[in-house]
Amino acid sequence: MLRFSTALALVLALPASAEEFNFAVTTDPQTMDPHAVNSAPVLGFLNNVYEGLVRRGKDMSIEPSLAVSWEPIGDGEGWRFNLREGVTFQDGSAFNADDVIFSYERASSEQADTSSWFAPVSEVIRVDDFTVDIMTTAPNPIFPDSIANWMMMDSGWAEANDAVRPDKDQGNFATLNANGTGPFQIVSRQPDLSTVLEPHAGWWGDVEHNLTRVEMTPIQNPATALAALLSGDVDFINPVPIQDVARLAGNPDVQVIQGIEARVIMLGFDQQEGGPSTNDMFLDPAAREAVARAVNVPAILQTIMRGNAEVASQLVSPAMRGYSDAEAAPYGFDQDAARALVEEAGLAGQTIEFKCPNDRYLNDEAVCQAITGMLAQAGMDVTLDAMPVSNYWPELRADNFDMYLLGWSPGTFDAEHPIRFLASTPNEEKRLGSWNFGAYSNARIDELLPMIQSEIDEEARQAMLDEVAGIMQDEVAYVPLYVQPLVWGAGAGIELTQRPDNFFILRWVTVN
Amino acid sequence: MLSYIIRRVGQSILVLLITGLVAFSMFRFVGDPIDNMLGQERTMEDVERLRAQLGLDQPFVVQYYRFLEQALQGNFGVSFRQGRPVAEILLERAPATLELAAVSGLFAIVLGIALGVFTAIRRNGFTANFIMSASLIGVSLPTFLIGILLIYLFSVELGWLPSFGRGETVDVGGWSTGFLTESGLRALILPSITLGLYQMTLIMRLVRSEMLEVLRQDYIRFAKARGLSDRVINFRHALKNTMVPVITVIGLQLGSIIAFAIITETVFQWPGVGLLFINAIQFVDIPVMAAYLMLISVMFVGINLLVDILYAFIDPRLRVSA
Repeated sequence: MLRFSTALALVLALPASAEEFNFAVTTDPQTMDPHAVNSAPVLGFLNNVYEGLVRRGKDMSIEPSLAVSWEPIGDGEGWRFNLREGVTFQDGSAFNADDVIFSYERASSEQADTSSWFAPVSEVIRVDDFTVDIMTTAPNPIFPDSIANWMMMDSGWAEANDAVRPDKDQGNFATLNANGTGPFQIVSRQPDLSTVLEPHAGWWGDVEHNLTRVEMTPIQNPATALAALLSGDVDFINPVPIQDVARLAGNPDVQVIQGIEARVIMLGFDQQEGGPSTNDMFLDPAAREAVARAVNVPAILQTIMRGNAEVASQLVSPAMRGYSDAEAAPYGFDQDAARALVEEAGLAGQTIEFKCPNDRYLNDEAVCQAITGMLAQAGMDVTLDAMPVSNYWPELRADNFDMYLLGWSPGTFDAEHPIRFLASTPNEEKRLGSWNFGAYSNARIDELLPMIQSEIDEEARQAMLDEVAGIMQDEVAYVPLYVQPLVWGAGAGIELTQRPDNFFILRWVTVN
Repeated sequence: MLSYIIRRVGQSILVLLITGLVAFSMFRFVGDPIDNMLGQERTMEDVERLRAQLGLDQPFVVQYYRFLEQALQGNFGVSFRQGRPVAEILLERAPATLELAAVSGLFAIVLGIALGVFTAIRRNGFTANFIMSASLIGVSLPTFLIGILLIYLFSVELGWLPSFGRGETVDVGGWSTGFLTESGLRALILPSITLGLYQMTLIMRLVRSEMLEVLRQDYIRFAKARGLSDRVINFRHALKNTMVPVITVIGLQLGSIIAFAIITETVFQWPGVGLLFINAIQFVDIPVMAAYLMLISVMFVGINLLVDILYAFIDPRLRVSA
């Protein structure tokens, strides 16, 4: 309760020249614990407070952070990380190898939501105060990429505050408080109301921003957020509703920053024999191709997305590592071909149950309605069932669909990620195909995945990724539609950097 | 009398239990909280473990029983979304809603009575007719639209008032109040008008019709015949008798102001319990939803119980026949 008055006192005490920055978010990060919830709002925000061994630059490339360098050990037995010296946490304690070991144990524990990042790790060895070896069960070329969001916590702080393990259920000290090495520290946190940050004076890096105080406020209603930006109550909002973009473009007080997100929106199909929905029509690749040919993606992008997205041909966007240039051609709209395929697959006269979320992706329900109409024109009979996302996932898990809409953003920014989650034959034990709701299965892809995961030679690896992309295109495993756009809004004097992972990095913000 | 009160209290508790059960069984249709709590890279194993940990693998009747058992001890569980005790969150959010409800209630009562009396006395005047017609627009526009219109006019176009939030708050003995800071008071204006507008028109129309009714009574005619001034007749004699039914309605409306603050709070990002409830639905935060719904039903059942008991005091016949 003291926090209110403390925050007020801070505001009153600030000099007039201070560069204050207020921004609105749609979803308040549900925790300040970097290992408790593996979701974009949490990781994106905490990237300003905590840091990992490596981090992503403005172009998403991996660059040194708390490790100054790293190299593979032997023939791919693991990776050696050389840590940065002289780094301090926000409470003043020093960072060293013990904190890395502690953060590994914490982030890979059963209670953590980040444990899947460490599935390939067999052991973490402390070589000396500033050297750590992370051993893997098999050669793992993309391991440094996969831990860009693995954030370092201070072992002493966690022990002193009884937060040695994350607690999703009851919460603990780390749920509301943070102590990272990052450029900003939290000075007050009221969940769902406001979070105030100030620069961390002892940060090791070169300061590029000119912020002295940052306040984050959640605003769920898009119209309210837009009004807050227009009236200058906030300096930044994400996202800007797509239908308002054109109107904002003519306003000199605000700027719209547009980019392409890492997320690919696609259609998936029920491809298991029998099952709860006894409709086996999409077992036939011709039926799936009929859908692929019938959907006019450019038209959807022009009308619903108002020219703000790009057509996709694979489960990853061209900006991702391992994107296959060889398989870059999308299916292409061809209504006559679609009609012929409908006949060939015997789709006429069957009702396709199409499930769609209405609060998960940008304009998701409108896109699904457009698709429903396009399929009808090609002679398919589609019933659309749109619902909130908290009802949507249970519905997909219960196999209550013939066709569904899915968006996928690879956490590792590598083409291997969707293969593991969407294209592998579902296998609970091996933790494969956990989002492959339609149970698409191809023996060759299952065989290639472990090879892709452990291939160190870039060229050989890309050849295998090309092969997978080719198989998935030929079999129409999914119908990739488009890469979702990012639309941010900011005040006229704000300079910032937009990254395709939709993370808002405060150290790149300047207020003029 | 005592047996009547006991019977009514018993009925109220039954109503509460049934409301709770209905609300609780509805949670199954709101969705599954587990997906919101775990990230993209979760496994089925994680899902099952968390489900068991939260007791969500139990039948809903068992979950409801556990909830009641805990709630009776003042424990409403831990929010799935925030990982903090629900009671703590509700207490933190309550001041915002209560202050908003109080200000908009005051706005509705003062303006509603004043305009009601005015339109009754100047029954055929131009201004009175204009107010009556304008009030129709106020009633028929949805709250959401009124809020957005006010924001666009007073925040975006004119820049006079903040577009969202509560402004600065000051902590007074555990109660965070917006009454003591300038930005807090400014932030109250638009949401209070939005929330109070409907109640205001309701009170105005009620006062007007009651007042017109009273003004037709014989004692008013006698008062006029006695040569009393209009002022004394209207405000001392007529208004006093008008107020009896009006006060009853105002009492009941205050409860609905608190309950229906949800839309206003969403439009203005007002950090009260209504907004908390909306967020809880999106996240399927069952402990928060359950506690909020119970709180609101306790409030309504309590108000009704109080009204019934008061009526029984006034009219003894009710005690026997009930």
